[in-house]
Amino acid sequence: MPEIAMQLTNVSKRIGKKEIIKDLSFSINRGEVFGFIGPNGAGKTTTIRMMVGLMKITEGDIHILGKSIKSDFKQAIREVGAIVENPELYPFLTGAQNLKQYARMIPGVTQKDIDEAVRLVGMEKALNEKVGRYSLGMRQRIGIAQAILHKPSILILDEPTNGLDPAGIREIRQYIRKLAAEKNVAVIISSHLLSEIELMCDRIGIIKNGELVATQDVRENTSSTTQTLLQVEMEATPLDKALEIINEKTTAAQTNNKITFEIEKEHIPALISNLVEQNILIYEVSVTKSTLEDKFFDLIGENVIG
Amino acid sequence: MGNFINLIQNELIKIYRLKSTWAMYIIVGIIIVGLGIFIKSYGEYMTYEEDSWRETLEAENQSLLDESEEFPGIAEFNQSLIEQNNYYLENDIIPVSYGAWQFVMENEMLLSLVSLFTIIVAAGILANEFRWGTIKLLLIRPISRTKILIAKYSSVLLFSFITAFFVLFFSWIVGLILFGFDGMNPHIVLEKNEGIEYVSVIGEILTGYGFSLINLLMMATFAFMISAIFRNSALAIGLAIFLMLAGNQIVFFFIERDWAKYILFANTDLSQYVNGNTPLMEGMTLGFSVTMLVIYYVIFVALSWVFFTKRDVAGY
Repeated sequence: MPEIAMQLTNVSKRIGKKEIIKDLSFSINRGEVFGFIGPNGAGKTTTIRMMVGLMKITEGDIHILGKSIKSDFKQAIREVGAIVENPELYPFLTGAQNLKQYARMIPGVTQKDIDEAVRLVGMEKALNEKVGRYSLGMRQRIGIAQAILHKPSILILDEPTNGLDPAGIREIRQYIRKLAAEKNVAVIISSHLLSEIELMCDRIGIIKNGELVATQDVRENTSSTTQTLLQVEMEATPLDKALEIINEKTTAAQTNNKITFEIEKEHIPALISNLVEQNILIYEVSVTKSTLEDKFFDLIGENVIG
Repeated sequence: MGNFINLIQNELIKIYRLKSTWAMYIIVGIIIVGLGIFIKSYGEYMTYEEDSWRETLEAENQSLLDESEEFPGIAEFNQSLIEQNNYYLENDIIPVSYGAWQFVMENEMLLSLVSLFTIIVAAGILANEFRWGTIKLLLIRPISRTKILIAKYSSVLLFSFITAFFVLFFSWIVGLILFGFDGMNPHIVLEKNEGIEYVSVIGEILTGYGFSLINLLMMATFAFMISAIFRNSALAIGLAIFLMLAGNQIVFFFIERDWAKYILFANTDLSQYVNGNTPLMEGMTLGFSVTMLVIYYVIFVALSWVFFTKRDVAGY
């Protein structure tokens, strides 16, 4: 049995008469990367704010390693490191001074812990510059360093790759996976970038109008949906001959100089080798719409995003 | 406890790393040096020699009399100065020359500037965290909100004490450089309500500072409360400064009413009960004012606490 890091039981949040979060129940295990997705205004941030005690829980409770955030705040929050929304830091302090502010607030955090966190996020060089001069990516890194200073059991990151360049995104992704695998940290990531969540997470929870509409195992999802059709885009020459061959299997359409068609996943290899045998030059094959995206849009409806 | 000291350290770092805080000290510094140079260059201070002080005082009296004839408007004021001088002569006391301590005493009015700066800091210490968004990182530490609030409030008080001490110390240094040392504990003659008295300058400074600090404490606590309730520093600064400046007018506007004595500003100046002064309104006593101040103070602190600890930190 995996050890539960965070447990939400029938969590509801009402502001005035409006029910923002409705009866949310799920749990996150240690060593797991949990993605939290949903359209804007669905209640992701409200849920995260309740997880860290910034907002009061109207009904229900959240337990962190068995300790209630409501009644045992100090013990519970000690296990949590978080960035809520943007990584907001004191602009008139340097990166190092910002980290020291937080280090002083948690007993047992040493200079060694600070150095280690800084090294992990790769911010050694700009550490003594004022945060006001940092780029969003640099602030994001200091934000993450701040969240891991005290070696928490649960890491909550709101849009963690926001503002990072592609190399930075990959680095953070690898780092998050490593934290989960090696340190047995439960990582909760909220995002509206599906591709990112798909690459980083083991499991996702989809939230809509304050309700959890589905939790989905990412790997299970990819293996169980091999039967469904994928939308494929291909760049090949000669175009008309390729079209002809593909049309034997399925219906293909030509857009610009590319061919798009729908096909079952298991038939893709055979089709490609067939094309190659017929001396068709393939430059690019890509699945343009992932199954996760389909699932997501099925669940929440395309138009509500935004 | 070590934890609490860390919190205070954090808050003081945040206050003193801000450029606006440095601007406050530079402004006060320039004003003190400016006042010193002004007094020095216009020579409106007296020095007395051991063998000629009688002559100096008599000459001073004569020039004051001449001045009174020329400008009858200031005759009354000059008369009191003459009486003070006569006190020295009659009692055979050598007056101390103007020096560092007397300069400090004259700069007591700068404490209203300290009040102003303390209001600015008190108004910002909570509201800024909300404005910067850093409140979200501050409140997700294993520290109760009450403790954070107390640390922030204590830091405001520390700031005001440090600043008041700076005014005192820097004035003394500037006074020392410009006017010289006037003794460890110089005494001068001042006109009090009970007549002319021979008093310690340091004693005067301490009571003057003490009475000003009461007003400062109340207004800073008020600004802190507004900051905690509305999470907006501009509003807190504006309201607190307005009340600080208009407080006396508000009291005088309602002075005919029975309940005017319950207004905070009717009670902030405790010097109305000492030196034989008459209280603002009939029926007011020192005990009454102190009770009123304590009640207001408790209300301010309680409201700050309720709003800071009980309210959600939401994203708007």
